[in-house]
Amino acid sequence: MSFSDKLYKILIQGGSWKTILGGLWVTIQISALALLIGTVLGALICLLRTRKNPVARGIASVYIAVLRGTPVLMLLLLLYYGVFARAGLAPVMVAVITFALNVSAHVAELLRSALEAADKGQAEAARTLGFSAWSTFRLVTLPQVLRIAKPVYQSTIVNLIQWTSVVGYVTITDLTRVINNTASRTMQPMLTIIIGMLIYLALSYIIFGIFALTDRIKAKRRGAAA
Amino acid sequence: MSLIEVKSLKKSFGPLEVLKGIDLTVEQGERIAIIGGSGCGKSVFLRSLCLLEKPDGGQVLIDGQEITAKGAKVDEIRRSMGMVFQKFHLFSEMDVMDNLCLAPMRLKGINRPEAEKKAMDLLEQVGLASRAHAWPTVLSGGQQQRIAICRCLMMEPKVLLFDEPTSALDPTMVGEVLAVIRMLAKRDMSMLIVTHEMNFAKEVANRVLFFADGVIYEQGKPTEIFDHPQREKTIDFINKIKYFSFETDRRDFDLMQLQGGIQTFGEKYGMEFWDIYRLQICCEELIYEMLNYCYSANEAVDIKLDISYAEANHATDIVISCGGRPYNPFEQDDDGLGVTILKKMAIRMDYQLVNDVNRISIRMDRRKRTAQRE
Repeated sequence: MSFSDKLYKILIQGGSWKTILGGLWVTIQISALALLIGTVLGALICLLRTRKNPVARGIASVYIAVLRGTPVLMLLLLLYYGVFARAGLAPVMVAVITFALNVSAHVAELLRSALEAADKGQAEAARTLGFSAWSTFRLVTLPQVLRIAKPVYQSTIVNLIQWTSVVGYVTITDLTRVINNTASRTMQPMLTIIIGMLIYLALSYIIFGIFALTDRIKAKRRGAAA
Repeated sequence: MSLIEVKSLKKSFGPLEVLKGIDLTVEQGERIAIIGGSGCGKSVFLRSLCLLEKPDGGQVLIDGQEITAKGAKVDEIRRSMGMVFQKFHLFSEMDVMDNLCLAPMRLKGINRPEAEKKAMDLLEQVGLASRAHAWPTVLSGGQQQRIAICRCLMMEPKVLLFDEPTSALDPTMVGEVLAVIRMLAKRDMSMLIVTHEMNFAKEVANRVLFFADGVIYEQGKPTEIFDHPQREKTIDFINKIKYFSFETDRRDFDLMQLQGGIQTFGEKYGMEFWDIYRLQICCEELIYEMLNYCYSANEAVDIKLDISYAEANHATDIVISCGGRPYNPFEQDDDGLGVTILKKMAIRMDYQLVNDVNRISIRMDRRKRTAQRE
């Protein structure tokens, strides 16, 4: 069988590409929703983590430690077969919750380190000019935090996309699951799985590209000004 | 109504009492320099005025409004004060123009064109109009500090607080920042400056506060504090007096150790080679003179040598005290070699007998050497 025949069989025959795109869409959906919810939740956890109140801080620390210190697949299985077993939630929803929780722990931690790295002197300068604590945070500290957190956040997103490849364990047909099925059906595991990897790689590079683009726009703005 | 009134201000960090009750009244147009050794609380005091440090006790009134009161509108009161920091703290995520315009636009509701006009005006005055759209990171320390001062001025404060504004700067950039402060001084801007630049303080301030022991230890006009300080710690600080002492209870004391100690001491504070050498000789001669005449061969010895060196005017004093027999080396019929050397190198010699302890003080001065050379 020629190479093009193999490709035809894997990608085209019987509308195979639609199935693959469907799997990709599921992966993107889970990742995007988990990222959205996880980021908001992470910010809240970070808020708790940086309180003076030792109880709040303790709860947040334990939350972060447990979620960062255990495999996300275990959490997924726990929620699917345990916590939400009788809740009648769609598997995709369980996956979104799982990854949102996982991402939130990472985001909380990266926000905290960015907050610590932000220049406290600038905040003091803003306060002495007469800005309230909240305005100071919004106008002076937050922009610094975003700049500092950005590179780590980028790799968090890429990691998240890759980690969603385990959702096949709970019957979700995401990209990995679709590729696996196609490989079995066509008896062409080598080529099929490489194609699957290339799709993940492309996804990662799109994320890198988006971040690089925003960096470049910012640098251009500064460069033109200076 | 006074511009700033401070009443028994107290601040501790844990067990460390930094401010032990400061009272101060600042009138409109006063320029106050705050000096003192490191850790004397001068920065903490300045930061307490705008509540960056929360005082443990006492009151601070700014233009009649008590900023330390419960429920005080701190943010509003702060608008009448400008604080300039050691490390500038320009907002890193915006350019110079935005740094200047942020506060007046957001807090005073001034519109953008008006704020920019005012900012350009200020930037021109400090010679940085061409840098209006630069980002803080590309500017030198001196430029950043000048812009930080402009940022304060944008709010038209009644008083400026400077917290060591030139301490983080390269020596070549100190001048440009001082020039801006000088310019403000000429316009009768009220200001409090914590500084280590003594000459600048002397020139610009009309009152100087010397902080020590958590209080205002001495205050007065610049000439009073710098030229005629009254109290001990002020004198030591102004003349930058450094101390070295040596004690021995042995007749065969370690001369090399003493000479090495004096050498290190002198080099550390920038004494000239010949001055160190002469100091060593004087100390050696003095000690042997006293050893020979105050004690008999097997008697216990107790000799203490104190050297003080004033960095400001290079005055060097030696004080030696020892027990044993009373003996004044300078009033003998016949001077030995040691005493001849001492008389040659000193400009002032004193002998006292206090409680059976011989006490000799010698003032060395390097002017004598220059005279000799000529």
